[in-house]
Amino acid sequence: MNRRDFLKNSTFGAASLSLLGVSLPAVAASEAKLVILHTNDMHSRIDPFPESDKQWGGLGGMARRAAMITQIRKQEPHVLLLDSGDIWQGTPYFNFFGGELEYKLMSQMGYDATTFGNHDFDNGLEGLQKQLPNAGFPFLIANYDFSKTPLAGRFQPYKVFEKAGHRIGVFGLGIELSGLVADKNFGATQYLDPVGKAQEMVTQLRGPERCDMVICLSHLGYKYESAKIDDRKLAAQVNGIDLILGGHTHTFMDAPEPIQSPNGRATLINQVGWSGINLGRLDYTFARGTRQPTVAMAAVLPVQLA
Amino acid sequence: MSFLSSRVAAFSLLAAVALAPGCQRAVYQAKPQLAPVTAQPVGKALPEDAQVAAVITPYRQRVTQQMSEVLGSAPVPLTKNPGESPLGNFVADLQRQRAAAALREPIDVGVVTNGGLRTSLPAGAITLGSVFELMPFENELVVLDTPGPVMQQLFEYAARIKMALSNVTYTVDAAGKPANIRIGGQPFNPAKTYTVAISDYLAGGGDNMIFFKALKPRDTGVLLRTAIADKIRQLNKEGQSITAKVEGRVKVI
Repeated sequence: MNRRDFLKNSTFGAASLSLLGVSLPAVAASEAKLVILHTNDMHSRIDPFPESDKQWGGLGGMARRAAMITQIRKQEPHVLLLDSGDIWQGTPYFNFFGGELEYKLMSQMGYDATTFGNHDFDNGLEGLQKQLPNAGFPFLIANYDFSKTPLAGRFQPYKVFEKAGHRIGVFGLGIELSGLVADKNFGATQYLDPVGKAQEMVTQLRGPERCDMVICLSHLGYKYESAKIDDRKLAAQVNGIDLILGGHTHTFMDAPEPIQSPNGRATLINQVGWSGINLGRLDYTFARGTRQPTVAMAAVLPVQLA
Repeated sequence: MSFLSSRVAAFSLLAAVALAPGCQRAVYQAKPQLAPVTAQPVGKALPEDAQVAAVITPYRQRVTQQMSEVLGSAPVPLTKNPGESPLGNFVADLQRQRAAAALREPIDVGVVTNGGLRTSLPAGAITLGSVFELMPFENELVVLDTPGPVMQQLFEYAARIKMALSNVTYTVDAAGKPANIRIGGQPFNPAKTYTVAISDYLAGGGDNMIFFKALKPRDTGVLLRTAIADKIRQLNKEGQSITAKVEGRVKVI
């Protein structure tokens, strides 16, 4: 029985699963723990999938996700709630209200940041601008240049969060819009090289910003066979990113995947499907860094429970 | 329970050992504890957050209300099928009319594929919900200025699947090729450029219409779904029921 089946067939509900976290022996009680919760590609899925849906019937739903998050916040003082884009498009809620409700509910849940997915441009720059007042959270994007658009100066490339006594740097990367989004919908938005921008972000966050941890919110996509940039290629080319929270490819990952970066250290990639079917959770503790040389990982670790 | 925790614990240990050491400029290093599971299903067993649910309720009511808006009524279903179909003719025609209105110029041809229409329209009341089911995609209506040789490729494509086009009649000959093509009653002129009302999806080469890819579409700013809903509303307003028929746009020898 693999893990997913085990979870599906288990008699205790998903709510009690989150309670398991506190009892784990791997987490030392004295250390401040950072709990990272994340979503990607929620695609306007306000209500759970209808029961008639063959694959996902009954799953998801923002009111349930909110309950889950509230429950975790009751147990964990240091929570970062992040999203990797494509908040919009997929149900009539978006067609009728233009994304207003999605932003309101995310604000209510206390999202700390998101980045842009291609579908977040589906109502054009004007449609995006119109809904920004409903978003009580920042859109972080390092590789889109909005300076020649009406949204110039509205977004930051990164934000530093003080959590669990540490500085956590979060930056965002978006996919190339041309060919994916109608030209008129992204207007004069310039797409910049994600690898170069990621390097710049790490230099800034690890340097002047003195961050202990760097997180990339990515809407590049998990993995392409072609040369197109994806999260795995990004991780393999850029040092200093602890975690890439991905999106776009709607990938259900059983566990985060470690990818060896050029300096031998691992960057973890995680993505939790789409439509709010899952809430991703990664817990981090912080250890004093050592000056000892890294034991280079010979290969990508098979981090699979099943 | 012990099954899960012990495996997770062992896994966390493995992950911590493997990922922890290293030299870094920051004083602290982030160490992942991948527990208990990194993707927690948002399932039926979860209660709803009452405050969030309360915000959603009025929006849901408006969605439900708008989806049940009756746009018009049909005496018989407008069905879809490969080849010429009532629904295919209805949509291809309204695409041409709507594009003409949007761009304020006559449009020669309307194109929609059977696959692009997701379901038939029912007999009786047609609601906005019916139109969403028929056209769930955010496809936009565009116009392609199509040179004769590309039109020829379109007709060959159409003849292979006996697909009907708006404002066009043709015959599929014994070899499966299009013959006797007439556009607006006039014989097809390969030296002419024709205007084609089509979805941005097909204009971009969707459904293997790769011959369109090189053409630059002109936007109408109208979603295909909106065009369909508006047409039904308009007919209803004029006191007409929603009908369409197969009228021999494609003849097979």
